[in-house]
Amino acid sequence: MNATTNAVRVGARRGWIEMRNSLRAPDDLAYYVIGAAVFVVVMWLNRDNEIEGTGITAALLIFPGVLAFSTMFSASYGLATQVATEREDGTLLRAKSVPHGMRGYVVGQTTRVTLEVAFNVLLLSIPASLLVPGLWDSAGPQGIALMLAVLLLGLVACVPIGFVVGAVFRSPRAVGGWGMLVIAGLVYVSGVFFPISQIPGWAQVVGQLTPMYWMGLGLRGALLPDSAVAIELGQSWRTLEVLGVLGLWAVVGVALAPVLLRRMARRESGSVVQAGREKQLQRV
Amino acid sequence: MVAGTETVIEVSGLRMRYGAKDVLAGVDLQVRRGEVVVLLGPNGAGKTTTIEVLEGFRLPSGGRVRVLGQDPAVADEGWRADVGVVLQSWRDHGRWTVGELVEQYGAYYRPYSETGRERPHPVGELLERVGLAPQADQQVKKLSGGQRRRLDVAIGIVGRPRLLFLDEPTAGFDPVARRDFHDLIHRLSDLEDTTILLTTHDLAEAERLADRILILDDGRIVADGSAEQLARQVAGRTEVRWTSGGQRHVHATEDGTAFTRELLARHDDVHDLEVRRTTLEDTYLTMVARSDARRREEQAAPQRVEAAR
Repeated sequence: MNATTNAVRVGARRGWIEMRNSLRAPDDLAYYVIGAAVFVVVMWLNRDNEIEGTGITAALLIFPGVLAFSTMFSASYGLATQVATEREDGTLLRAKSVPHGMRGYVVGQTTRVTLEVAFNVLLLSIPASLLVPGLWDSAGPQGIALMLAVLLLGLVACVPIGFVVGAVFRSPRAVGGWGMLVIAGLVYVSGVFFPISQIPGWAQVVGQLTPMYWMGLGLRGALLPDSAVAIELGQSWRTLEVLGVLGLWAVVGVALAPVLLRRMARRESGSVVQAGREKQLQRV
Repeated sequence: MVAGTETVIEVSGLRMRYGAKDVLAGVDLQVRRGEVVVLLGPNGAGKTTTIEVLEGFRLPSGGRVRVLGQDPAVADEGWRADVGVVLQSWRDHGRWTVGELVEQYGAYYRPYSETGRERPHPVGELLERVGLAPQADQQVKKLSGGQRRRLDVAIGIVGRPRLLFLDEPTAGFDPVARRDFHDLIHRLSDLEDTTILLTTHDLAEAERLADRILILDDGRIVADGSAEQLARQVAGRTEVRWTSGGQRHVHATEDGTAFTRELLARHDDVHDLEVRRTTLEDTYLTMVARSDARRREEQAAPQRVEAAR
């Protein structure tokens, strides 16, 4: 087997082990379950709350938005935090010290994030199916297929963002603080939790630049009845645009992320890790 | 271990400059195949920087560096597979089990295996060797400091490297762990023909392990040789102490044996005889002091020229 293929396999195994370790850790597990529970409870509370002019309940409208948000959160914010943390603790340097280790590391993180997103989707969908009436009524096999396609494409669009942010910021604390602000802004402009037609025009423009808006739109188009299109911009699901914009984000990200990752990896050395460690210990 | 003639590391005029400060001011060194070379020097002398340049983790400001025939800054993945680096873990991979982690890093070397040099090392065998077999299923975060360092060594050698770098590998080891580690290094060098470059602050350790010692001070190699050769360079002396006629005597000599024989032949009342070879510690302290003096002289020299005008 050639060394590149081998590294991809080793990386996939790495991602699997990391996800399994995460599921065995009580704090991580609590984080996943509580996160999903909050959204499911909000949907349950809104199960009879019909939105005027759409013929659907708020619960149904929120569900695709929650899937989009949760995917973006794991793949961009969560990943960025992990990369920044593992840069500081020397995991990246270790990857650099073995042949094709960086490739294995990137494949590992991508695998882990994919598994995490899949797990989150199940953790949200299963209880929601039981507690929210009519969740899958309008989807049909075609809708489910479109949902999976949008989730996958959204994942490919968001993962490079996670790597790039994790590579650019110096410390996981910086990613945490600034990242949360950015996330809050994104939630507002991308219309995942309430109709985008209700926010100001400039925010709609910004929102339409983000992959999160297009993921949300794509998922609503896949899961909601046609009557719900009334509250969308231009009263259209814009399915081709959804696939086009997410595809563009994915292509640009996949092309750009390796360049930035290589630049970041070049800077890593034992003394850089040591310096980070000393800084961290001083803070504590 | 008899070192071969093949040169594994060749460095000339290596410079590293941070801002206005030269951390390395023209380092020259060679390491031959199979040698165990220990790099000594005070804090801030540039030991870590030197090792990081050789590992390919840091770009030098100038000079020529060849490690296993390639320039580490642009070396390929095949080169990487032949170089082992023992890193100092901190809190990475805390949730992994020891066995899985060694397995994971070993797996990268599989495509580089060849007959007679199977890679990676089988995990069980390797853990046995570094004394971590009982901890194979334990989480890394539950290891003691010494056990963690042994795990670092295991990961560093799992790919059966031709050349191994260790930066202060035994810091924080207890005496037993240290002894075990020394045995491990001897075995790597003797049985597997691994070339080893390590740094340490422990002079006894350097004396035990090194075929050759390099002393780095202020960005330059100030001494290069076996512990005995270095001792001869400093003074070449043995110190003889004894009491006779109720009086304490001290004498320094080139040939301790001859002097002692003559001393005993001439005098009847020699008591409390003590013959002590120069230790590496004496040598080291003298070398570093010499280098400091030279530096002060160099700094003072231009001022003297000024004054003479």
